[in-house]
Parts: sequence; structure tokens; C-alpha cells
Amino acid sequence: MIWRTAAGVAALMASLAVAHAAAPVEFSKAELAMLLSHGPWPVPWSGDPSNRVSRNRDAIRFGQQLFFDTRFSKTGSVSCASCHHPGMQWTDRRKLGMGLDEVDRNTPTLNNVRLNRWFGWDGANDNLWSQSKRPLLDPREMGVDEKHVGNLVRTDPTLSCQYRRVFGAAPGTDNERVMVDIGKALAAFQETLESGRTPFDDFRDALARGDRKAAAQYPEAAKRGAKIFVGRGNCSLCHFGPNFSHGEFHEIGIPIFRKSGGVDWGRYQGIKMLRASRFNLLGGYNDNPQQADGIFTRHVQLADQTFEQFRVPGLRNVALTAPYMHNGHFATLRDVVSHYSKIDPTQLHLAHIFLGGPDGLNEAPPTDTLLQALKLSDREIADVVAFLETLTEKRAQLLPPVVVDTACAPPGKK
Amino acid sequence: MPKYTLAALILASASAAVQAQACVVEVAGGRTVDAADYRLAYRTQPQKIVIGRPFGMEVAVCAKAGGVIEGIQIDGFMPDHRHGMNYRPTTKSLGGGRFQVDGLMFHMPGRWDIHFDIKSGGGSVRLTDENVLK
Repeated sequence: MIWRTAAGVAALMASLAVAHAAAPVEFSKAELAMLLSHGPWPVPWSGDPSNRVSRNRDAIRFGQQLFFDTRFSKTGSVSCASCHHPGMQWTDRRKLGMGLDEVDRNTPTLNNVRLNRWFGWDGANDNLWSQSKRPLLDPREMGVDEKHVGNLVRTDPTLSCQYRRVFGAAPGTDNERVMVDIGKALAAFQETLESGRTPFDDFRDALARGDRKAAAQYPEAAKRGAKIFVGRGNCSLCHFGPNFSHGEFHEIGIPIFRKSGGVDWGRYQGIKMLRASRFNLLGGYNDNPQQADGIFTRHVQLADQTFEQFRVPGLRNVALTAPYMHNGHFATLRDVVSHYSKIDPTQLHLAHIFLGGPDGLNEAPPTDTLLQALKLSDREIADVVAFLETLTEKRAQLLPPVVVDTACAPPGKK
Repeated sequence: MPKYTLAALILASASAAVQAQACVVEVAGGRTVDAADYRLAYRTQPQKIVIGRPFGMEVAVCAKAGGVIEGIQIDGFMPDHRHGMNYRPTTKSLGGGRFQVDGLMFHMPGRWDIHFDIKSGGGSVRLTDENVLK
């Protein structure tokens, strides 16, 4: 079976070159292997063991309702969906997110968020339920406290009923526990947000099965861009795997001075917050008794290389999630690719070089050499953009309408 | 050459041979790294290292001159990019030069050098084994 597939792929490599004599795109064996590693899509997923209501149908429905409920904000005017808008690929199209006030970072999409190892641009959370409660408590986002959440869930008959159905008991007086459970219901909903198949997936699968005719349907410009992406561009090293992210962090020369003042130290600060949190996977709210999923948190290094690093985002539906980078620094995909084309390695780690590091540290900057200017021509930049556009669904998926659990609906709405 | 010097040399070389024979490490299904003064064997758990997945390691090491292995530290490094792992593994001694290592993770495809820093006789020696992940 394997050798037949390999033979098919080899035959396809040759035929792709012949079929497009004018501008043949030939993939080396290594490039082809890397292309295949970006699929298949979707990837199997078996739920979050740290969340006892992960994949629970009632929890998903409850979480969806909570996601759009503005009563969980201080002014009653903001919900999770205010920044993670379903009609905007779960982003807000702003450079910097805006809840009750403007925040320091761009709103990341929630597409495929269940595949993350770390959550937030700095990875300050190692699980989705803890990450989900964070904006509720941030004064600039939704600005409530645990008491507000606890009271609301206990006193609103519909919320209280749904909570009881999902968690098996009425919300208790422990506001922190109620808050965590609300985070778990929100997480259960967000775990369902998966982007669909794309033109790239059809191309990749055609390559995998040696289907020359189907592979030929993929645009030539995208093929040229794909070759750069998986080849000399080295993009696949970080934008690795089916979700186009290895899930870790890098410094890529984006300005890190906050609009609100000071330096955003990114991952370094994220690790400190992660370790200080009672809500990480090593804490008592992890529903997985073995806590095996906490292995990364147990071993993550607070190293100087983490200064100025931000999470490598997945690239699925990337054409629909502008602006880009942790602070929305780039407006278009062309801007992003141009940045990598002309990146100056001496301009990396600047805050590190000039300030020595956070917390009064005075560490030497890292000497990593991964990022080098790709020196792409205008056409090559356009080709990589054409490739990135094929990572986007042709037709955006529609979110099912919010349906209140009929057993908990107020009288007259059942 | 005086007779006693020759005898001493013969004795010394015989003793070294015995000690070298004693430095045998074995980890079933593992890889071995041989250096001038040390011999090391290790097996990753699971055996196949998968990019982005945590893995552990069973390590056995001995000094060819017969010294005691006081400890070992493991790290991963990508020489082509000049950066290492984002995680710091923990090591537990199982006695007799054997160690259990947990918390390793290679997050990128490419060449990863595994560094074994062996502590013995008050000093430290680095052994390196190369792995290429695709």
C-alpha cells in the first residue's frame, strides 16, 4: 500500500512537470513530503480530558448561549462575540481588540482553537476553559468579577437550569468554581469551531493518492507559492502540520512597544502568568485526574529566548483574518510575506538588546539563525500570497442559531 | 626499560582492558553513543519521536575508566537554527548509571542534536547524538 502510494506520488511529480511545460512546478521529494504533512484535514480530535463537559451536547449549547450573552460584561453591552464575531471568522478585523476599552493585542480567530497547545498570543493559559474566563475578568474586555458571574448564573432561571443540566448540580456558592464551569461550557462551544476544507486540501489529497488530473486543478501560482512555502522559504518549519502551526512561539521582528505604553514581552510574561495560575493543568480544576496533559506546563522553560516571542498562529482561513500579527501590525497577506522577504536578522530581539530583558534581567540576546531575508521577487511574493489564499474555505460556514435548551426555556418560549 | 616498569605497564593495560570490558551499556531497542571515555545507550519513549509530541527517554551510561556516573543532563539543540527546546526535561536516577528522563519535546522538523552532559569525577563531558525529524 505504502509503496504504491509512493510510486503514484513519484509518477505525479514527473507528470506535473510535463503537464505544465510553460511553467512547470516540480516538487522535490522533501517538498512533497512537507506538503503531505499539512493534511489530511480535518484532523481527528477526541475531546479535552481536562474539561469534563468537553463534547457534551448540552454544554456546547450552553456555551454557545453564554458566548453571545452581554450580561457577563460590566456594562451589559459586550459579549465574547463582540470581539470574536461569527461573521468575521471569529475575529473583529481591528488591529487591536476592543471590549470595554482597547486592549494591547489583536483578536485571534477561534477557528480550530481546540488544536492549540497554548492559548493567547503569549500562551499564558494551557487550556481553553481557563483562557475562556480570562476576558470576562479583564477590566478592558468584559470587566466583571467572579461574584457577578456566580450571582448571574445562580439567579437567572434559564442559566441556572442549563448549568444544572450540564454539570449535574445547581450552581453553588463558590463563585470561583462557577466561573471555572462557565469557562468549561464556553470551551465546549469553542471546540466545535472548525474551519472547513480548502482548495489546498483537495490538492494535497490528490498528491497523496497520485491523482494527476485532480492535482492539475490547483492554480499554478499557488503551486509556485507552495514550493516556496515548504522549500526555501522554510515557512513550514513553524507553520507546521495540518493546522499550519507547530503551536510554539517565535520572535519575528514585529514592534513590541504597546500602544498603551511599555514593552509587550510576550511569551516570557505568558509563562510567568501560566505558572502563577491556579487554573493551569497542574491545578485542582483539571478534570483529568492523572494530569498527564500538564506535561508541557510542568517542563516549559522560562528562558531568555522567550523575550518578545508570540504564538505562531495557524493559517487556515488566513485570507479572512486580517490584520495580522500579535498587534495587527500588517494589514494584508502581501505585507506579511514582504516582511519575511526583507527581514533583517539584526533587527530581531531589539528590546532584548537595548533593555536587557524584563524584570531587570540583563541577558544576552539569542543567537538563533532561523529567520533570514527570503529576498523574494514581486512575483514570488504574489505566488506565496496565492498559496495562502488557497488555505481558505471557498464558502464560509454558517453558525447554527443559538437554541435555548427547551427544558430550560422561560415560559412561553418552550 | 626496567623490568618493573614493563610489568606495571602490562598490569595497567590489563586492568584497563578489564574496565573497558566492564563498560557495557544496553537499552533494548535503543541507540548507542560511544565516546573516548564514556559509552551511552538510550531509548526514547515512545520509540519514534514525533514533532510536537512529548517524549521521555531511558538512558544507561558508563565510564570506560570505571568511574561513578553522578548524574546526567539531557537537552535538544537544532544546530542549523542555533536554538534549543522550549522545555526543560527532568532526570531521575535509577541507579547503576541508568536514568529516566521526562519532558522532552522537539517542536520543529529538521536536525536535532541530543546533548547528554555526563557528570562524573567532579567534571562534565558532553556526548551528542544526531536525530533528523521529518
